[in-house]
Amino acid sequence: MVEAKDGVDLTPVVPPAVAQRSRRRSIGVLVVLALAVVALLSQGLLKNLNYFETVDQALAQKSSLGTKELRLEGVVKPGTIDRTNTGASFVITGSGTNHVMVNAVGSPPQLFQPNIPVVVVGHFASKTSLLFECTQIMVKHSANYIAAHPNRVKAPNGSVR
Amino acid sequence: MMKITQRLLGPVTLALLAFTVVMGLWITPPDTLLDGGGNYGRLLYVHPALAWVALYVSFGTTTIASGLYLWRRTRSMTMDRIASCAMEVTTLFIALTLITGSIWGRPTWGVWWAWDARLTSTAILGVLALGYLALRRANDDPADRARRSAVYGILIAVNIPIIHFSVVWWKTLHQQATVLTATGQVSVHGSLLLTLLVSFVAFTLLFAWLLRARYRLEVSRDTARATQQASALAQRQREGA
Repeated sequence: MVEAKDGVDLTPVVPPAVAQRSRRRSIGVLVVLALAVVALLSQGLLKNLNYFETVDQALAQKSSLGTKELRLEGVVKPGTIDRTNTGASFVITGSGTNHVMVNAVGSPPQLFQPNIPVVVVGHFASKTSLLFECTQIMVKHSANYIAAHPNRVKAPNGSVR
Repeated sequence: MMKITQRLLGPVTLALLAFTVVMGLWITPPDTLLDGGGNYGRLLYVHPALAWVALYVSFGTTTIASGLYLWRRTRSMTMDRIASCAMEVTTLFIALTLITGSIWGRPTWGVWWAWDARLTSTAILGVLALGYLALRRANDDPADRARRSAVYGILIAVNIPIIHFSVVWWKTLHQQATVLTATGQVSVHGSLLLTLLVSFVAFTLLFAWLLRARYRLEVSRDTARATQQASALAQRQREGA
């Protein structure tokens, strides 16, 4: 203890470690943040930034894909949908004559129908087969919004003008 | 003039939101969306506007205010307050964007969530926004807190163009841009588009209203804190005398 002549304690006061504590906490937050971001990215984007392969791409690299699970995108060919007890079977097309037969288990989404793009999750039955065993169907919606009846506008009372 | 504008902000916002609801639910016809699902299209009057505010208006406010704080000429605690308050609003709007998107996704896509580039990068922005708020809490020194927050706020803005262009750069389940398209062509039918634009204005005003309220609260808090400190100091001085 350092004492002046009149008995006052002149020992230097140690300032509270505010800056140090703040830095420690900030580093902790940044570490948690980095872990959270990596966890989100690891759900798919770290492996492939593209959510799906198109029919054309999948057929082009079919031998390397084998029976690996993938997401496949194509347009549902009209007249090919056959609803079964366990799900549905249908054909999806790419460009030209490229097509894949899909055998889906489980009920298709509400908006599933011919001529729309879908993404199917599953795998090819074999390395050479065009049959795709599907466990999930997702409907891919376009960015277009068109009024069902452009010339008719509903009034607030429900009447159609 | 400024006072009148501020006073009218709340009522005008509420009126426009009500107008959006009436237009969206009763006046506009259903969308042709995939035959029979037309009413899901009405989420068009909520989800894009929420995303617009979250990503561009609100987050943009934080980025600009952070930049102005870091620039010596314009550095002030006002800029720091605006940046932090806007980030709180951003967090709310990101959450609402993700929730409404999920509600849209279930009946339309068939799933609540997809780990595609658009959805994942938006979720990451939500986490980064929460991180901004956590970082502020972690720091006790106001000047240090303001500087670090400003740097962090600008750094994480890198994610905004990634989110915006994710649907162009990569293949995603999320559709491509409807309003802010690369070609400038809006792919929404006339009467639907009008309601969509009204919703954009309504939610932008809602952001301004919320930001103003949050900012005023922050100023009141700072004033109360300063008053408390001054009175505590005065009391100690009286005790020592």
